[in-house]
Amino acid sequence: MKSKTTRMRKASAFAASVVGMSMVLAACGSSTPGESAKTDGGDGSATTIEFWHRTFTPVENEWYAQVVKDFNASQSAIKVVDTEVPADTWDQKMKAAQAAGKAPDVYTYSGALVEQVDAGQFHALEGIVPQDKLDEILPSAQSISQVDGSYYAYPLLLEPQAVLFWNKDMLDAAGVDSTKAPATWDDLYAACAKIVPTLSEGQYCISPAADAVTLAWASAGQQYNAAGHLALTQDWTAPDIDNQGYRDIMGFYKELYDQGYMPKQPLGSYLEAKDYGEKKVAFKVSGSWMMSEVGSDYSDLLDVTGLGPVPTSPNGDGRTTTTAGNFMWVVDAKSDNPDAAGEFLSWVLAGDPEVLVPFFVDTQFTKSPVRQSVQDAVAKTEAAAAAPWSSVIVNDIAPDAHPGATYPWDISLAVGTAIESAMKSAQSIDDAIGTASGSIDTIIQRESLPEKAPKP
Amino acid sequence: MTTRERPAPQAARVESRKTTRAETGKKNGRSKNFEYRDNKIAYLMLTPVVGLLGVFVIWPAVYAVILSFQDWSFYKPAVNVGWRNYINVATDPLFLETITRGFKFVLMTVPTILVLAFFFASLVMSVGRKASTTLKVSIYIPTIISGVIASILFVLIYDYSGGLLNWVLAHFGVENIPWLGDPAWALPAIAVPAVWLGLGLPALIMVAAMLDIPTEYYEAASMEGANWWEKTRYITLPQMKNVSLYLIVTGFVGAIQQFELPLVMTQGGPLSSTTLPNLFIFNHFRNDINVGYSIAAALLLFVVLGTVSALIFRFINSERLVD
Repeated sequence: MKSKTTRMRKASAFAASVVGMSMVLAACGSSTPGESAKTDGGDGSATTIEFWHRTFTPVENEWYAQVVKDFNASQSAIKVVDTEVPADTWDQKMKAAQAAGKAPDVYTYSGALVEQVDAGQFHALEGIVPQDKLDEILPSAQSISQVDGSYYAYPLLLEPQAVLFWNKDMLDAAGVDSTKAPATWDDLYAACAKIVPTLSEGQYCISPAADAVTLAWASAGQQYNAAGHLALTQDWTAPDIDNQGYRDIMGFYKELYDQGYMPKQPLGSYLEAKDYGEKKVAFKVSGSWMMSEVGSDYSDLLDVTGLGPVPTSPNGDGRTTTTAGNFMWVVDAKSDNPDAAGEFLSWVLAGDPEVLVPFFVDTQFTKSPVRQSVQDAVAKTEAAAAAPWSSVIVNDIAPDAHPGATYPWDISLAVGTAIESAMKSAQSIDDAIGTASGSIDTIIQRESLPEKAPKP
Repeated sequence: MTTRERPAPQAARVESRKTTRAETGKKNGRSKNFEYRDNKIAYLMLTPVVGLLGVFVIWPAVYAVILSFQDWSFYKPAVNVGWRNYINVATDPLFLETITRGFKFVLMTVPTILVLAFFFASLVMSVGRKASTTLKVSIYIPTIISGVIASILFVLIYDYSGGLLNWVLAHFGVENIPWLGDPAWALPAIAVPAVWLGLGLPALIMVAAMLDIPTEYYEAASMEGANWWEKTRYITLPQMKNVSLYLIVTGFVGAIQQFELPLVMTQGGPLSSTTLPNLFIFNHFRNDINVGYSIAAALLLFVVLGTVSALIFRFINSERLVD
């Protein structure tokens, strides 16, 4: 009897501990990130909106935190909870939240919208953002935020994804005109031929995009420049890369590689100014955002840095060589409170221009606003006068930037792989085009792309 | 001694244990119910574990299989697509290339680790206690270093302009080599840190296995005039067969699933030359709207790993090899 009692006690204690542990686990689960709540749990009247943004530069992160704080202070009906998500974990975290049905109400997004809209991921902005606010978006930013005539995203900015930077001192030392960018590929080859003999060990003429993944998106503008179109036919039924334009662009990268004008292995990320800041290269191709890094981390180079459009193909016919990078805000299709989400989005991006001015000033005028009223307000600031590159980006490069590919990423990657393959002579240019065409055909079949092609 | 002789004493011991238990039961006159009286409490104690296993392993696995037959983007109702995801994966040359690349990576790393670990263990066995402790600690240190940290270290070593390796080679007149930029070099370059990180544990396991071999075998062999190689060939290696089997299987599974080294060091490039299967699946998971393809790829990889592991067990346990 005694032993039975002891066993029962042990069993009871064990059961109690299991229940206790379950309660602890349940308590841990209540703070799931991204979970949207009807009210803030305080006075029970405010609607809570979850807002996620990526970790950007420190000044951008501060701006995001400040606008959320200011919005919450400006009214009491909506409470926005801001979450900063490290960029390298963004995809995993967002996928996990979406799979659990707990994606944030509002979040930042970059890239083409077609696939996501087709999958029903975004809430249309008509109806939750006033039409007059949507009408303020400049034409150059409309195509990136619309699908079939409806807005699914409100752009925060446009930023050219391919800009040529150069070190004026290094160009002057080689006797190359440092007041303007080389206009064509031939001009660039000629400049590099003069620069290379003046360089020390470990220095190179130019650091362009050099790996398949980066080439996939960063070279899209150059693809458009060289070929007059991107990698698919307009109806998305076939690849469109077996032509002279694509052969030319592969030949361009191969020439830079074979001549030793660019390093055989990237010296730094395309996104960052490291190799340029350490004076390892005379020219650097990167997005316009690099200028803000030069200003903050390599301020000694600020006055000797020139920037301009990436050189054009001899057959470019005046077409742009860059795509318009962007960051937009979207409202999740499963948001419980799309109206409140739209109100928050409108207040920040479509309201008082002064809310946005600090963003463009603190990022050193390296991004272009998408509303005329904001562009004017930014241009009026005192700091703008001390940033001559601002007008180059806003007036010379951004306005005609190509909106970029809207087809699936795998197709862009197939083209990027073909360019890298030809560049490194892993395949001949013809073979690289053949391989990429085969891959693209497979993707077209797999994804049933003709059904998803944008309507003309 | 062969393994065929081993089961006999083991079987005898089990039989003897059964007999003793039965005799004890009879002696005490206790009923069968008494013998299994703890079953209820045992099941109760197992319940949480089985529950957790069900929630976190079994159900996700079953659900993954279900999702692999669907197109699901989280926002629209899932659509059944039958075997299409599996067909897409199985006929995708990029997926097949990653599997082949995974096997190449296994061949570069696992035999190297096993051979180095064996020589290291032999060295540990042949030195004094203090020296062996120092050796064991030093070989194990890389194991506890984060793979991400090791990746960054090796990226610095392999740096094209200013990296340690090219700097050393320059003293011998070798021009800079793009270790992580040339498709021909990138996979071997990643295999080096994989070996460095993976050497510690197999080496210590081999030391333990060598300590377990009775010294009488070596003494007898010495009396017969056997040299080092003969002792290794006829005593050490056969005695370490089970340990080797374990290390080969775990090494194979670990190597083909290597993920963080290519992710941090090369992001799978150049030209996908370091895109190993898990990185391929991860990239699809990140980039695809629908999750069916990546889940089908993961399940197919599971089948590949299971099949090869079973073949290794089968081959090494075969009578042909034992004889």
